[in-house]
Amino acid sequence: MKKMRTPYLIFMFLVLSLPILYLVFYSFNAGTTMQGFAGFSFKHYSELWQDTRLIDIVLETGIVALLSSLLATIIGTLGALAIFRVHRRTIKGVLLSLNNVLLVSPDVIIGAAFLILFTTLKLSLGFMTVLLSHIAFSIPIVVLMVLPRLKEMNPDLVLAAQDLGARPTQVLGQVTIPVITPGIVAGFFMALTYSLDDFAVTFFVTGNGFSTLAVEIYSRARQGVSLEINALSTLIFLLSLAIALAYYFINKVGKRAKTPELKEKVK
Amino acid sequence: MVETQPILEFSQVALSFGETEVLKQIDLALEPGKFYTLLGPSGSGKSTILKLISGQLHADSGQIFFEGQVINDVPAEKRRVNTVFQNYSLFPNMNVFDNVAFGPRLKKLPAGEIETKVKEMLALVKLAGYENREISELSGGQQQRVAIARALANDPEVLLLDEPLSALDYKLRKDLQQELRRIQKRLDITFVFVTHDQEEALAMSDWIFVMNDGLIQQNGTPEDIYDEPINHFVADFIGETNIVPGIMKEDYLVHFVGKDFENVDAGMRPNERVEVVLRPEDLDLTDPENGKLVVTIKDQSFRGDYYEITAMDDDLNTWQVQATNPAEVGARVGLTFDPEDIHIMRYNESEEAFDARLESYDEEEAEAALQAARDDETGREEQGQ
Amino acid sequence: MTMSFKKQKKGFTSFYMGIYGLWLLAFVIAPLLLLLFKSLQTQGGHFTLANYQTFFTSGPYLAMTFNSIWYAFLITLITLVFAYPTAYFLTTLKNKQFWLLMVILPTWINLLLKTYAFIGLLGQGGLVNSSLTGLGFHPVQLLFTDWSFLLVAAYVELPFMILPIFNALNEIDPLLTAASQDLGANNWQTLRKVIWPLSMPGVKAGIQAVFIPSLSLFMITRLIGGNRVITLGTAIEEHFLVTQNWAFGSTIGVILIVAMVITMLLTQDKQKGGRS
Repeated sequence: MKKMRTPYLIFMFLVLSLPILYLVFYSFNAGTTMQGFAGFSFKHYSELWQDTRLIDIVLETGIVALLSSLLATIIGTLGALAIFRVHRRTIKGVLLSLNNVLLVSPDVIIGAAFLILFTTLKLSLGFMTVLLSHIAFSIPIVVLMVLPRLKEMNPDLVLAAQDLGARPTQVLGQVTIPVITPGIVAGFFMALTYSLDDFAVTFFVTGNGFSTLAVEIYSRARQGVSLEINALSTLIFLLSLAIALAYYFINKVGKRAKTPELKEKVK
Repeated sequence: MVETQPILEFSQVALSFGETEVLKQIDLALEPGKFYTLLGPSGSGKSTILKLISGQLHADSGQIFFEGQVINDVPAEKRRVNTVFQNYSLFPNMNVFDNVAFGPRLKKLPAGEIETKVKEMLALVKLAGYENREISELSGGQQQRVAIARALANDPEVLLLDEPLSALDYKLRKDLQQELRRIQKRLDITFVFVTHDQEEALAMSDWIFVMNDGLIQQNGTPEDIYDEPINHFVADFIGETNIVPGIMKEDYLVHFVGKDFENVDAGMRPNERVEVVLRPEDLDLTDPENGKLVVTIKDQSFRGDYYEITAMDDDLNTWQVQATNPAEVGARVGLTFDPEDIHIMRYNESEEAFDARLESYDEEEAEAALQAARDDETGREEQGQ
Repeated sequence: MTMSFKKQKKGFTSFYMGIYGLWLLAFVIAPLLLLLFKSLQTQGGHFTLANYQTFFTSGPYLAMTFNSIWYAFLITLITLVFAYPTAYFLTTLKNKQFWLLMVILPTWINLLLKTYAFIGLLGQGGLVNSSLTGLGFHPVQLLFTDWSFLLVAAYVELPFMILPIFNALNEIDPLLTAASQDLGANNWQTLRKVIWPLSMPGVKAGIQAVFIPSLSLFMITRLIGGNRVITLGTAIEEHFLVTQNWAFGSTIGVILIVAMVITMLLTQDKQKGGRS
């Protein structure tokens, strides 16, 4: 089995990276299709640079992602604190189940249900409804990221702080929040990923005036291939690569700095 | 030392993890049917030896023999040894029966035979009737018994036990120590037991290997190792002890804490610098005028069957004493001991040289010399009166 | 002093619960109830069970439902077959977290971009067909076939199968593998008897994470499947955004939710002996 390991993993890596590499490759095509390379050129990048509509959409997508994940992180953290402090097991169970409904529901259901909600409330579809939807579907993952940190937290810490005369605000700010920060950060990044990756929900709840990148690509792709999209994909991919690697190494360095004693013990 | 054909042998075995040398040139030979203990602090390499025997690790150099055959490249599953792991490592997805039946089933034994085997093994570890229990329903001690039964169900020639009792509480540990010894005697197979607990090692073993820094420091019977530790590390690791620097003026005469003492060691260079070992239980309290040493009691604590006393002599050496009667803190008392209680350790003496030196002088000669010295002393005392 | 601390803390907790509860009410409970109400209404807004009746008596809808479940099953199976060895091999590597990231990372672009890439890869002159012609075969119609739908859907869902299985495998005590080998099991026997059963929670989580969304991948059916494959998700999108028959769309939505709950119940972990 050991002999199969490396070839298999390389094969999977190639298969999984093939589509994005294909997009990147053809973003430098002098021709206009993803079929047959007609020479190297940056022309699709300059087209992209001049396509103000697409650039606006990218910026708006980013704004929705950042705003929604920020708000979802705040509400989700409060939710985790609330659920953590519920002592009745049944109520806790119900809250957790409700929390997870949006996580397991197919996007189409969420999109359709939110669409009914917004029209019932007579909200006009556009930026606000998209933002509200993104906040809504990102909250549960934040809760799930923060809750385990709260459970791991030594309850004596809070008692000790209280014993030393800390006010509840001080306990929260100086004991609880620092301990659960890794969970909050992870939750924020998950929310960001959810928002950037979403297509279906946005597709349902957006109106004529507002579009995110995914929705825009969908409508453009239905009309045929445009290598501007390839150029954009390349840039997005490089950005996410940089963020992911940075996140990984920061995490790794942080863990190493914090747990030397633990590693000693494992040895 | 080993007369029968060893069941397991290490010849010049070494292993490194990156820069760290975990084992440096290990030689050892194990006879069949004995209870061996690898004793040492964590990081000494004792568990590494176990993993080399079981096949979880492979040596960088040197050879490992099993019944005379080199087994360096034999995979773990083909070796006729089994392991009892420190944290039990029972399969949580199987019940007690399935855990114990794991090995026999792999051997494709008939179902009836498997059942007999499992029942026999569970009876051996006193868990008859526990077949259908889930692992999570068992206590730590019971889990460890299942782990022992599981390993023994494979009929190993050698059973490896990797600190199997360290997670259990004191009472349970005592019980299981006796039981392991009983099982080993009954099955008459070789046990290799790894522990950092010297009491456990002394209580259970036929033969102990004391390890430190990837080297075997000393090996021998529990009595040998306790009574004649080869160096500071072994003396200190095997129980409470007093170690002071001294000078071996001549055979059977050692100088420490400013006085000369008769003893029973010989074979060293005249005026060689040595370390002197006196076990706390060999020291007796007496009046200051009758004491070979005079000390001040600094601290004492009751240990159930004795008092542990910490005292200090005028040269500010600390002495640990185990006494049956309490003393008074702050009092000046004498300490006495017999010449036989003094054990001398040379600096950097190898195990071979140590053994050779012990053989080189006649114990009777030592006794005779001692007797002569005593007569001399009594003579002088008589003259004085 | 302590009383006021408790009181103050209680006040905070109610405040947190208030905000979080508001979200639960507005965005979890209300939308689902609205969806249910909508499915029980005529287009004009009167109460009716007609939508359900239509659904369960219409051959095409039942066939589509069956089809949708069948395709979701196939997608789940394909991803499991490829994901399990990937996750297993990854956990045996030294820097496993890093290599996991390397394998997953290329898929971290928007779903639509991945789908879009396949339009190029599978197109008439795309990589797959030009490789085929290069090898002397005739080019084939790949885009807008059932196979292309399965391929792209499986590709898109693969990371969601790899991750939970990887996590479950990663949590297995490596000493259990050592114990199994110590007792005479070879690698394959260890995998079958120890690792596979212990990784079941991850496999089940992966099945949940892949099967349910696979029932509703409407954009892939549109862009790659060429509307040949109609899933429950495609039907919902059609009714909401094309034909504007929200009542019937909601009916299909409720049925999808029921299918989802059944899937969850089937793959739920039985709490056996207190260990999870």
